[in-house]
Amino acid sequence: MFNLLRLHARPATSALQTARRCYATAFVPPASLTEGMTSPLPVKPKVKPDSPTFYTARAGYFDGLTALEDAITDTRRALTALQLLPLPQSVRKALPPLQPVWHTKDTLAGHLSAIVTTSKYRRYIRVLDQLNEYRQIAEIAGVVELAENLADIITSFERENKEAVLAHGKKKPVQFDEYGRSYTLGRRKESTARVWVIPVKTPEAAVSQSALQTESPGELSHFIPQPLTIPTKILPVTTTNIIVNNAPFIEYFPQLTDRERAILPLKIAGLLGAYNVFAIVRGGGTTGQSGALSLGIAKGLAAHVPEVAAILAKAKLLRRDPRMVERKKTGLAKSHKAGVHLRLPRFTLDNEGKTKAGLEYENKPNDSRE
Amino acid sequence: MSSQPLRHWLAAATRCRRQALRPATGLGQVRCINFTAGAEVPLETVDDWTQFQLDRADFKTLVQTFSEFGSTQNRENTFQPHHPLHRPVAPSQATISALLASGAHFGHSKSLMNTNFTPYAYGVRAGITVIDLDTTLPLLRRAAQVVRAIAAKDGIIVFVGTRPDLRSAVRKAAERLEGQGFHVGEKWLPGTLTNRLSMYSSEVNKERRVIPDLVIFLNPVANIHAIRECAIEHIPTIGIVDSNVDPRIVMYPIPANDESTRTAELIAGILSVAGREGVALKREEEQRIKGKARAAAKFLQRAREQADVSL
Repeated sequence: MFNLLRLHARPATSALQTARRCYATAFVPPASLTEGMTSPLPVKPKVKPDSPTFYTARAGYFDGLTALEDAITDTRRALTALQLLPLPQSVRKALPPLQPVWHTKDTLAGHLSAIVTTSKYRRYIRVLDQLNEYRQIAEIAGVVELAENLADIITSFERENKEAVLAHGKKKPVQFDEYGRSYTLGRRKESTARVWVIPVKTPEAAVSQSALQTESPGELSHFIPQPLTIPTKILPVTTTNIIVNNAPFIEYFPQLTDRERAILPLKIAGLLGAYNVFAIVRGGGTTGQSGALSLGIAKGLAAHVPEVAAILAKAKLLRRDPRMVERKKTGLAKSHKAGVHLRLPRFTLDNEGKTKAGLEYENKPNDSRE
Repeated sequence: MSSQPLRHWLAAATRCRRQALRPATGLGQVRCINFTAGAEVPLETVDDWTQFQLDRADFKTLVQTFSEFGSTQNRENTFQPHHPLHRPVAPSQATISALLASGAHFGHSKSLMNTNFTPYAYGVRAGITVIDLDTTLPLLRRAAQVVRAIAAKDGIIVFVGTRPDLRSAVRKAAERLEGQGFHVGEKWLPGTLTNRLSMYSSEVNKERRVIPDLVIFLNPVANIHAIRECAIEHIPTIGIVDSNVDPRIVMYPIPANDESTRTAELIAGILSVAGREGVALKREEEQRIKGKARAAAKFLQRAREQADVSL
């Protein structure tokens, strides 16, 4: 409109001024022009956000947290109605301690698909611990359905390898294979023994009559006192077969001391003849290998017959002997052995490399102590 | 020296001590009933626990039976602290006495009063600014009208209360507005609105309405950055302003005590009930439009049938 006024007000311009633009119609800003524009693309109507915590920018986390807090509120109401809450302090202390193994912060962040900081993680874990406490109370008091529902929630937040994590640092129990064989490891000095202990299969015990009973009773049989015919079982005596490095025991350990050392666990446990042993030993010498075999056998027996572990421990057969060959030290011939005790003349060299006596030395004489 | 005690008070004291040394036996010594005393027996089996529960239930029934002979005022017919949260008041039923009871009239100290707050101040007492509830109530009702109108037009309403005690209040308020109510009970992350392209994914920004239509602040002083973001994005705001705050920071101020949990719960309750009414109005409107559309479709159908018949 103002351009129009300007056109009317100004008189005809000179040739130099014809470069200025003149509009026949009013000036319309380009954004308002619809001429030549195709119909706009259909705009999809925008939907409201799903989660009520959308404007926290951490909706996944807060939705999960509020769901758990609601579960706590409902459980508390249910337990109060069942007269289980508030629990007296003495009863609460007597409850067995809980050992939950929750997901790590990163795993939780992945599950909730939200950023989880340490403080947020700790808050989440505190809520889970509270829920776990209520689950324990419900379980112990025998409220089966409530305890099961809570257990479903809790297990979804616990790590899959929970048993492995709790058993970390504890001794792994010896595994038996499908034939009932135990596999244990024994070490002594530089030797290692891989030992398989297999129970001996006892054959069927033969039932026999007393030897004194005659087959055909004679005329004077009624005078001879007949012993009671108690059928006695003749138990077959089994032997422990030991194979070491594919060789028979006696062949591999010709020395009696080594053999005695190896079978001592069987003797002390009283299981000589009850188990067979197959072993692969490597490293060290005879003493080390027999000691390693002994430890392997002892561990295997303790796995097969747990009652025997106490007596083997008392005899220190379950202990890995920590004694190893001591190292050689510098200045000594061996770990403790010193060389010949010499009194060497002490002398010093001056700047020219000469002693007080005027003797020259290119290198210092050999000192056995160095 | 003499048979009589020299110091009579010492004699009394020794008598008391002697009594204390005597073991407490017999029913006469019991001073109070401790119903948890039965639980000193260790609870090992499920039967023990069941017995424990039954003993407690017996005690509760005993208390309940004798309560009938006690006071006529009981838990059901008296005010309980959870009522402002769980039993909200409708805007038309909001009264000055309810505001007074919740402590909405307590402002901050006289020295901290903001000069722009003067129209809403009643006076000073004990060095504290008293807020004029005669101004608070109409402003609260006005804010309720705003909430109702925006909710009736399918608007997004966000309740912001970033203190731990306000968390449950904003959550419940948002729940009353169903799909249109949102809440922020934790820290408002700076850039939620102004930096929304980074805060939320591109799909969310394209498909969802990220900008709200109204934001209600229960503690505006702690959320000044959120208020500024709302101003930048031209979003109307409602807020509880205390006497140390300039009421112009929000569009619809409600002069009241921002430190009181009960006041915040009362105000959030009133506004959320107004929002719920707005949502109901919206639904009615949708039903009406649907009904009209159905009627129009039926009319057209009949007209077509008549035309066919005539042809």
